[in-house]
Amino acid sequence: MNDDLPLILVVEDEPQIRRFVRAALEDQGRVVEAGSAAEALETFAGPAPALAIVDLGLPDRDGVDLIRELRTWTMLPLLVLSARSAETEKVAALDAGADDYLTKPFGVQELRARVRALLRRRKVGAGETAIEFGNIRVDRVHRTVTRDGAAIHLTPIEYRLLGVLLTNAGRVLTHRQLLREVWGPGHAERGHYLRIYIGHLRQKLEADPARPLHLLTETGVGYRFQLQDFAT
Amino acid sequence: MRESNSSSRIGDYFRAALACVATTLLTLPLHGVVDAANIVMIFLLVVALVAMRLGSGPAILAAFAGVALFDFFFVEPRFSMAVVDAQYLITFAVMLAVALVIGQLAARLREKALLAARREDEMRALYDMAKQLSGAIAAQQVADIVRRFLRSRLEVEAVLYLPRDDDTLAAIPAPLEGDPCQAHVQAVYEQGQPMHLVAEESAYAPGLALPLVSPLRTRGVLLVFGEHAEQVCAAERRPLLDAVASLTAIAVERLHYGDVAQKVTLDMESERLRSTLLSAVSHDLRTPLTVLVGLADSLTLARPALPAAALESALAIRDQALRLSGLVHNLLDMARLQTGKLPLNREWQPLEEVVGSSLQAMAGALAGREIRVDLAPNLPPLEFDAVLLERVFCNLLENAAKYAPQSDIVIAARIVGASAEISVADSGPGLPPDAGESVFEMFERGRHSGTASATSGVGLGLAICRAIVGAHGGRIWAERRAPGGTRMALTLPLGTPPVLEEETGE
Repeated sequence: MNDDLPLILVVEDEPQIRRFVRAALEDQGRVVEAGSAAEALETFAGPAPALAIVDLGLPDRDGVDLIRELRTWTMLPLLVLSARSAETEKVAALDAGADDYLTKPFGVQELRARVRALLRRRKVGAGETAIEFGNIRVDRVHRTVTRDGAAIHLTPIEYRLLGVLLTNAGRVLTHRQLLREVWGPGHAERGHYLRIYIGHLRQKLEADPARPLHLLTETGVGYRFQLQDFAT
Repeated sequence: MRESNSSSRIGDYFRAALACVATTLLTLPLHGVVDAANIVMIFLLVVALVAMRLGSGPAILAAFAGVALFDFFFVEPRFSMAVVDAQYLITFAVMLAVALVIGQLAARLREKALLAARREDEMRALYDMAKQLSGAIAAQQVADIVRRFLRSRLEVEAVLYLPRDDDTLAAIPAPLEGDPCQAHVQAVYEQGQPMHLVAEESAYAPGLALPLVSPLRTRGVLLVFGEHAEQVCAAERRPLLDAVASLTAIAVERLHYGDVAQKVTLDMESERLRSTLLSAVSHDLRTPLTVLVGLADSLTLARPALPAAALESALAIRDQALRLSGLVHNLLDMARLQTGKLPLNREWQPLEEVVGSSLQAMAGALAGREIRVDLAPNLPPLEFDAVLLERVFCNLLENAAKYAPQSDIVIAARIVGASAEISVADSGPGLPPDAGESVFEMFERGRHSGTASATSGVGLGLAICRAIVGAHGGRIWAERRAPGGTRMALTLPLGTPPVLEEETGE
């Protein structure tokens, strides 16, 4: 086993799920397994993991609660495993500080792509001054957006929304988080504003606004900005 | 009590006469010893006592008898009704007048006292009944208590009529054969006005039907009947009967709300049980399915690669597990939708977004298809639950993928009247001509000619679509397209989207 690989903590009570997650991630990191929230917290006594995968249905504790506690002292990327038709649970986990989620059942490719994205995010960070996706280039110093060199006009709110999404590229942001970041606290009830401005951004930035490649919808949860296709 | 009335009244007059005779006999020895005026006083005292004990009639008799006896035995000439001294005529007149007045006053006092005692008795009995009613937990008990009270206090029989669920009345106790006055009682119940029943109208006559009026509504009818009309119709009995009716109404209303509360608790209990069961089932099925999908998927990616046949098996296991997962998901969704208590999380949003997320979710099944999205540019934001509408689109797209292989797919939306009409169309073999609404029934599987054997899946998808669209106030239907193919169309009401504040300070 390669000691240079980052540590990945997998908190999941079903041993068979831990088994295939470990197998799927063996070339991306060294997997540490925990069957409960208590075991998960114990692992932090050793070397700090670079990423944690947390199942929300833990036997000893609410997964959302565990995430909230972890977030009080660590910024490590958190990937949540959750059921379909449990949007409120996912939103709660993301609002508590999780970075992304996977809906059960999930494929190995999908898991690897998410993990890779979260680990890379950690490596490069969000400090770049110019960001490119598709044929769009965003210059954060001069606050300009261009497509193939031609300027695209964004309103201040559209620019601020794009900025928040880019800073958190690869993460899922809930409606509440986006509303708070862009419109400020006290605007949590203006979900329709957010959706309509996202629509504007797609019209301006996506080749086919109805089938976006970067500004992706996580239905019932929020939005995710994807800089490039991670499928491979 | 009442039957002995007339005979006891004659006895009272007899006793009053006897008292006068006895007074005469006792005062006779006093003749000549005391003044005649004092004899008069004694007679007046007797009249007062008679009035207090026996009432006003005997007192009048005593007054006249007293004057006559005084004249006969004490006034000269004695033992004759003749009067020598004309002054005595004044004595007689005054004595009679005073005796009558005292007698009437004393008698009225006695009646008042008797009435008060009777009222008190009645009140206590009513109070006792109310106490018993407050402990009653079934309609039968209420009826028994009321019937017992009316039988013992007023010597009348009663039947309690309470509404069934369909608002027709049921009698307690139930009549042995066909109720003779159901129609009258029903009228009383509906109009809320009391009604007298006369003998020709029914077997429960003469009777009085009293509505059980509670603050909110009429809760039933109390039918009181006896052998004689005055037993139920006498005006003096109405206050008591009305009081009984009111107490019964309160008791019946209390029972009604007790039932309602119990039903609500039961509903909540079963609802809680159902959702606990659903989430337990969904968790217990999800975990092994996740393991199956994950392990099978790991096999397909294993290095060195598996032999072709094994790889194919691994892929098949993964795909079947995914299908099973979708099926479980549909079943659970349908179970939730069928409880009729699906919470809609409706928000104003562009349709484009949910079309995009649906296409993204179905990317696997739709791989390699020509898909055209044609949304009218003037389409305003619509108010819908994005998660549920995505389910609708995914199910429609999945159907198109399943029943129209290789066909291109067109998703279109436009305004028609006060609705947005949204459609998913394919150019596959199309629905059979007789399919119609039946494709939206549960477990109905599309019977596309020629492909029936190649397709599979329990027909829950379209039933779920119909339930979701219906919950949004729209409708969904299937059409055959002219050259060939199926067009699934649905409407969503347009409504009035909220106004966005214009962005300032660009």
